[in-house]
Amino acid sequence: MSYPYPSHSGISRRNARGFLLLAFVVALTWRGSAAMAEPTKAGQFAILAGKVITMDADDTIINNAVVLVRDGKIERVGKRREFEIPDGYRVIHAEDKWLVPGIIDCHNHTAGSLVDLNDMVYLTNPGLRTLDTIVPGTKWLEEARAGGVTTVLLIPGSGTNMSGFGTITKLAGKTVDEMVVRSPGSLKIAQAGNPEWYWFGVGRSYMNYNTRQTLMKAKNYHESWTAYEKGEAPKAPTYDPIFHDFRGLFGRMYPASVHTQIYQVVMTTVDMLARKLKIRTVLDHSTFDGFKVAPQVLKTEAYTINGPRQYWFDYTSRKMHGNAARWWQGGVRKLGINTDAPVVPQEELPYQAAMACWYGWLPYPALRGVTRIPAEALVVDDRTGSIEPGKDADFGVWTGDPIDPRSSCELTVINGKIAYDAKAKRVF
Amino acid sequence: MTRIEPFQCVASNERERLRPSRFFRCPFAGYYLRRSIGIACICLVFLGSVNSVAGSGPSRGLDADEKKPSPVAKSDKESSEKKKDEDEKKKKEKEEDRYLAVIGGTVHTVTGSVHHGVTILTKNGKIVEIAEKVALPEGAETLDASGNHVYPGLVAVDSGGLLSGSSPGDSTNVYSLQMAIALAGGITTVASGNSAGKLTFGSVDDLVVKRDLFHKLSYDAASPKERYELRQKFEKVRQYIRELESYDEEKKLDPDAEEPDKEWLDGEYKKLLKLLRREVTASIAANSASEILAVCELATRYGFDLIVRGAVEGWTVAPQMARAGVSAIVSPRRRVRSDDRLNRPNGSTIENARIMHDHGVPIAIIPANTSITLWGLAGRDLLHLNMEAAFAVRGGLSDDAALRSITIDAARLLGIDHRVGSIEVGKDADFAITDGPILHYMTHTRWAVVNGRIAYDKQKDTLYNHIRPNGDMDAPPPDDYWPRSLGDSQ
Repeated sequence: MSYPYPSHSGISRRNARGFLLLAFVVALTWRGSAAMAEPTKAGQFAILAGKVITMDADDTIINNAVVLVRDGKIERVGKRREFEIPDGYRVIHAEDKWLVPGIIDCHNHTAGSLVDLNDMVYLTNPGLRTLDTIVPGTKWLEEARAGGVTTVLLIPGSGTNMSGFGTITKLAGKTVDEMVVRSPGSLKIAQAGNPEWYWFGVGRSYMNYNTRQTLMKAKNYHESWTAYEKGEAPKAPTYDPIFHDFRGLFGRMYPASVHTQIYQVVMTTVDMLARKLKIRTVLDHSTFDGFKVAPQVLKTEAYTINGPRQYWFDYTSRKMHGNAARWWQGGVRKLGINTDAPVVPQEELPYQAAMACWYGWLPYPALRGVTRIPAEALVVDDRTGSIEPGKDADFGVWTGDPIDPRSSCELTVINGKIAYDAKAKRVF
Repeated sequence: MTRIEPFQCVASNERERLRPSRFFRCPFAGYYLRRSIGIACICLVFLGSVNSVAGSGPSRGLDADEKKPSPVAKSDKESSEKKKDEDEKKKKEKEEDRYLAVIGGTVHTVTGSVHHGVTILTKNGKIVEIAEKVALPEGAETLDASGNHVYPGLVAVDSGGLLSGSSPGDSTNVYSLQMAIALAGGITTVASGNSAGKLTFGSVDDLVVKRDLFHKLSYDAASPKERYELRQKFEKVRQYIRELESYDEEKKLDPDAEEPDKEWLDGEYKKLLKLLRREVTASIAANSASEILAVCELATRYGFDLIVRGAVEGWTVAPQMARAGVSAIVSPRRRVRSDDRLNRPNGSTIENARIMHDHGVPIAIIPANTSITLWGLAGRDLLHLNMEAAFAVRGGLSDDAALRSITIDAARLLGIDHRVGSIEVGKDADFAITDGPILHYMTHTRWAVVNGRIAYDKQKDTLYNHIRPNGDMDAPPPDDYWPRSLGDSQ
């Protein structure tokens, strides 16, 4: 069996640690004393990496590469021999390691206070935001960073059909403002499979009716404002805090993260949200036999972010279907993986990808499914998700293939700052 | 021989034909049917027991054995004769030796080196030869493992739901789905309850490997009274052993010497006596550093073999554990956060297994969830025992040590390393034949061999045969790509 990229690199861990130099400790010499004279500037460093998986549109992989970081952004990526490292850049040696884009999770509940997971006031709660529940600096986040995770979408739970707007956050920062990438990050909709338990119980017909009504009201609100802005309506509509966040949703600036699973439910999601209402749709979970909807999903622009379940046991045919593999075989390429942290610990997102591979998926698409694909799904691919000049310097330095549980993340950089260093304190 | 072919994939149309009619497919029908059958069985058992008690009334008591043989006894005799015949038949069958040769794989012996392209010859469930060229006996079954890796079957030091708890040899379901899945994870031997047994899928022969594995003790910090009582019992047993020794000496001089009183020596005391004579091993759950130190101290003071289950903070007291000579069963991925309020200043670390191993503490690795689950979360149950070991590698343990922790070291912990845990001549023919390195996340078990029989064949079983069949990375979906449970094929 040959794998699309080499398996565990087999580099001795002790040697490896020796190579990795701490960020805040040494002003490094590079090629003799010439660089010594020039003091390094804060916020500027160069990482020499054995392999850079850029995850760009061409799926470029660069061996023996340099990544220049300046002011929180990636300045340049290229082969080591192609350019000299300019003066004033601190050099971090990772010649025996892999540099991989920061891992991104589209489905997280641990970046906020977990007790506020779900305010189940009404069956649809369109005005709520998880922005108000974010807690910086928790152990959850420290552990997530240790797994190379740099960005997550904090969304509310699935106890009601619409539980509010999620927040896209970086996992570093002392304040909410420092952390937040975008709020609203996405609208959380739970199509079915949990909101049934609301109050004395509701069925799918009523749930879908109710969700649709809320969305239609929001759409009307958005359209009346759009008409006013275009000058088609003489008077500004009354501002409504409940529906104002939906303007970005219908303006296709951010998606709806939909808790959806099981064939019929996923079909409803694709039909109602992606096809008819034409909003950016992320099929979160998309588990059990949801993969049967692949042909319909292909007709839309929806993203499928599978997890935390990675397989479905069809007892009638006595088969273990790997969900991601089945979606992939159905032709779906906008395919990623999530953890639903804390259902699966946030730092084990790459391991979720590994399990998707055990159940039949492929390593490179799986790695893409926890980096670039989630960034695209959340419409933050202009900032993160790949190693390209101009994007945020979010990446992990790994001892090998990042989805191999034997490899560990030795260094996590978020917004150009070292957010986790295994040499200082190993967490995972 | 009670050999029945393992589960075979039934062609899809035939399977469809074999399915029960529409009425019985109704979930409620199944429920009530099962319920009523269950109730009927209970009624029958109850009536039967009433009957037998009433019927055997007069013959019960002291004079029962003087009476003529009752019809029941006669039929017993008949059946025993029948059994004899069967036994002889079995013996005859056993005389025909059963050979299986595993040819051409990369053999990881674990206790020795790695051999490429050798043949392992097994006879009646034991390994008899490992060599490049082996003369195959006539009628030997062969298994072409070329291109695959041959590992000793993995040993799980704990399991739930695979073997029947109290009496695995008698009531284990050897066709259970869970057993097939565990075999697909390369596991061939598991400890369950207090016994160790093989996953002999499709056969009830040679299932039990060892009974009475451990003497489980509780030494909980939350219960000082319990701790005190246990120490008192140990003291009493130790005193008894001393008295017994001096009695043995006295007896040489004085034949009428009085034997030490042993009427009290029963139940728990008997077990502790075995423990102090090192005939059994104790197993105590201990996770925090203080708990581990307490049990290590107990083991040192009274002198017995001890396995520490959990050992989450073992890395903080590894030298003390090594000095006390205890072993540990760990789950490297298990996360317990430090908490000063709970007198737990350190918590867990991914390096736990590595640190204990470096200090010379023998370790066996097991996932936190030791059963086989079916609800969709992957890589967190017993099926991925190998991945739990891979997480120990993440924490710095070498690949070799990680492999040992789920094979020979695990077997040694259970006291069955003379039979399983490595590929050596004379040991049981238990193999996990995999399509890649066993600690890699994409590796599947191609065959699992238990007692020299193929207990799991990935391509013959339906569970995982569609996943990279024969190593094909881009295999198209199988014909039954659409599952049938929602009525697609109707």
